[in-house]
Amino acid sequence: MAASISGYTFSSVCYHSANSNSDHEGFLLGEVRQEETLSISDSQISSSEFLHIVEVHNHEPCAQLFSFYDYAGKVNEENLNRILKDRRKNVIGWYRFRRNTQQQMSFREQVIHKQLTNILGIPDLVFLLFSFISTANSSTHALEYVLFRPNRRYNQRISLSIPNLGNTSQQEYKVSSVPNTSKNYASVIKEHGAEFFDKDGVIKDIRAIFQVYSALQDKVQAVCAEVDQSERVKEKIQEEVKKLKEEISLRKRITAAEERRHQESLNTENHSLQDDSALSDSSSPPSLTRVLLQSPPLEVSLDWPPNSTALPLYPAAPAPPSAILLPRPQAVGSPGHPSPSLGLGNGDGSSSDSLNRQAIGQEDQLEEEEEEEEDEDEDSSEYENLVSERLQSPSLTDTAVSLGRPAALWPDGDTHSSGGSS
Amino acid sequence: MNSLSPEVALSRISPELRPLLCSVVRNGRVGLDSTNCLRITDLKTGCTSLTPGPCCDRFKLHIPYAGETLKWDIIFNARDPELPPDFIFGEDAEFLPEPSELPHLVAWDAGDPDCLLQLVKELLQQYHQYQCQRLRDSSRLLFEYDSLLEDPNYGRSMEIYAGRKNSWTGEFSARFLLKLPVDFSNIPIYLLKDTALDPGEDVALLSVSFEDAEATQVFPKLFLSPSIEHALGGPSALHIPAFPSGGCLIDYVPQVCQLLTNKVQYVIQGYHKRREYIAAFLSHFGMGVVEYDAVGFTKLTLLLMWKDFCFLVHVDLPLYFPRDQPTLTFQSIYHFTSSGQLYSQVQKSYPYSPRWDGNEMAKRAKAYFKSFIPQFQEGAFANGKL
Repeated sequence: MAASISGYTFSSVCYHSANSNSDHEGFLLGEVRQEETLSISDSQISSSEFLHIVEVHNHEPCAQLFSFYDYAGKVNEENLNRILKDRRKNVIGWYRFRRNTQQQMSFREQVIHKQLTNILGIPDLVFLLFSFISTANSSTHALEYVLFRPNRRYNQRISLSIPNLGNTSQQEYKVSSVPNTSKNYASVIKEHGAEFFDKDGVIKDIRAIFQVYSALQDKVQAVCAEVDQSERVKEKIQEEVKKLKEEISLRKRITAAEERRHQESLNTENHSLQDDSALSDSSSPPSLTRVLLQSPPLEVSLDWPPNSTALPLYPAAPAPPSAILLPRPQAVGSPGHPSPSLGLGNGDGSSSDSLNRQAIGQEDQLEEEEEEEEDEDEDSSEYENLVSERLQSPSLTDTAVSLGRPAALWPDGDTHSSGGSS
Repeated sequence: MNSLSPEVALSRISPELRPLLCSVVRNGRVGLDSTNCLRITDLKTGCTSLTPGPCCDRFKLHIPYAGETLKWDIIFNARDPELPPDFIFGEDAEFLPEPSELPHLVAWDAGDPDCLLQLVKELLQQYHQYQCQRLRDSSRLLFEYDSLLEDPNYGRSMEIYAGRKNSWTGEFSARFLLKLPVDFSNIPIYLLKDTALDPGEDVALLSVSFEDAEATQVFPKLFLSPSIEHALGGPSALHIPAFPSGGCLIDYVPQVCQLLTNKVQYVIQGYHKRREYIAAFLSHFGMGVVEYDAVGFTKLTLLLMWKDFCFLVHVDLPLYFPRDQPTLTFQSIYHFTSSGQLYSQVQKSYPYSPRWDGNEMAKRAKAYFKSFIPQFQEGAFANGKL
């Protein structure tokens, strides 16, 4: 059980008591409530604790001793009602003040307490005992107070706390839940309250703030819709941009490849005049040769990983499964360039034959599919690396549209789409 | 906690409350042990510290009860002296008397100086009942109590203190204080006169302490009022037989009573016997008597002559005469010892029988003197100098 008394009630009781020239007594008014604390922890599912809280809001002093009881300690209910009037239901206990005595309930106090418990119908009536101790030379005085719970057999003393009586620099200033029962206060608030409170008793400012809040919420909702729309438009445009970029790079490749082929063909003509036998071994119908030296697939997407800022020369692209089956480009008749380690080479007719036969088989399939160019030996290693690179590169889906794409690639298109929210 | 002398206490108490306290302090004897008065300590005031003059209205009262001292706080209000006091019963927090059983509280009359004293007596009665209730925790002790209660000799003058139970071991102790119904009225007055203070009532109290509920450790003790103790021969009179193990109070107490009664009888008898003895000697020796104790009859001095040899005989009669033999001291009137005293010889054993009456003792004594004197004379001449 916990008990608290507001500072002003406590000081009022002390004032009444200290100013009386004899023992003093009165009643404590307030409320008792029960708090239940549910605590859930890892070790137990839930445990609930009940705490009785006694709050003293006010007090009713008695004008003189023996005002509601007689010499034998018998309580007179009429006198009691006359003292308490309509506050009888608020009584939670009573108090007594005596100077220079022990902190123990006296004989008469116990007798009265039992009767009050029955008459007022409060099973846990509390008794607050003040004792005032002075030293012999009146140099030091001590006011001691103890709250008793005499109807219990054990734990008869409860500690009484006075909120905010202490070091408030280390503790927070607590607002007490004690209602203000002053009539003057109530009348002033009633008179001036209309300026601050609306008809429901809610402070007006609160309503205004709520309205501002809901207006802001609506605006935010509208903006959300707009953002959604613009985002979708932007996405579409980005798709188009992507496709266009792909086409551009494809065309670029085609033109670049054609030029190289042209160069190669010029070179091979010069060489073929020197060594006919080499040519005859590895001769194959021009169409086959062309097919052999097919370029790697040009499914180039302009996507690159979002983190990379530089444009790779040959952007990574998902290699189609057919790329794995493509034959390696063959180095045709170039002694200055040793054949790649895979055994395709000039000097070994048998192997090249076999490979040629393999390649031929595959060529037949692929001939119709793609227009191919001849590759030089110089480029074979590059292509070899390229294929392997491409096979190893992570596949990026086309749908990864990054908003962070630099606008410089396609100035006109991108400026529309980038940073596009209006 | 110094106890205040009654005068100091009375001077400090508020004037309106003074008469009440006066009767408590001066006449306050409650309970069986009336040799100890009620004491007052810790006089305090309930008024503000600026109130002038004697204004104390609350104090602690020490009440002897069953061998213990109860310390009760009594709280008045100096501003309302007509109101009855409140009490705090010290450590007996569970003692709560029924107010209807306290007539002097219900009908408190501040004008009656004895009101407080009467109220304290009533409270003490209630306290006694409360203690007897506590005896119910031990059936053995309850039996003791009930058996004593039935006996009219002891039942009405009994104080019980059922001690604090040791909550760890469950030990229970109790003390019975009983007033023994022994008649001291016939003790000759001279024996009682020696005390300086007002002896008060002559009383013999038996205190029996039970240190455990099974009555295996029992310690009896006898208390006598000072005059009785002196009359019966000092501290040796307090010797009583030990409590028999397995015995009970209803058997033991009468035993002690009887012992005490016998002692008293003996003392009374002794007095009469001594008187008889002295009377007989007076009649036998007539003019030879120098002086004698005419009040207590404990001493007698004779001046006798035999063949022109004069000598003194001092007779000292002991307390338990005639059981104990009188001491005869022969003294020569001529001879001195080296230390300047008269030469004397003490005779403790001589023919004597307690069954002789006074006359017989006188005659025998005379015969003895005659037989012993020559011896004494020789001794005096030999050892003393003129």
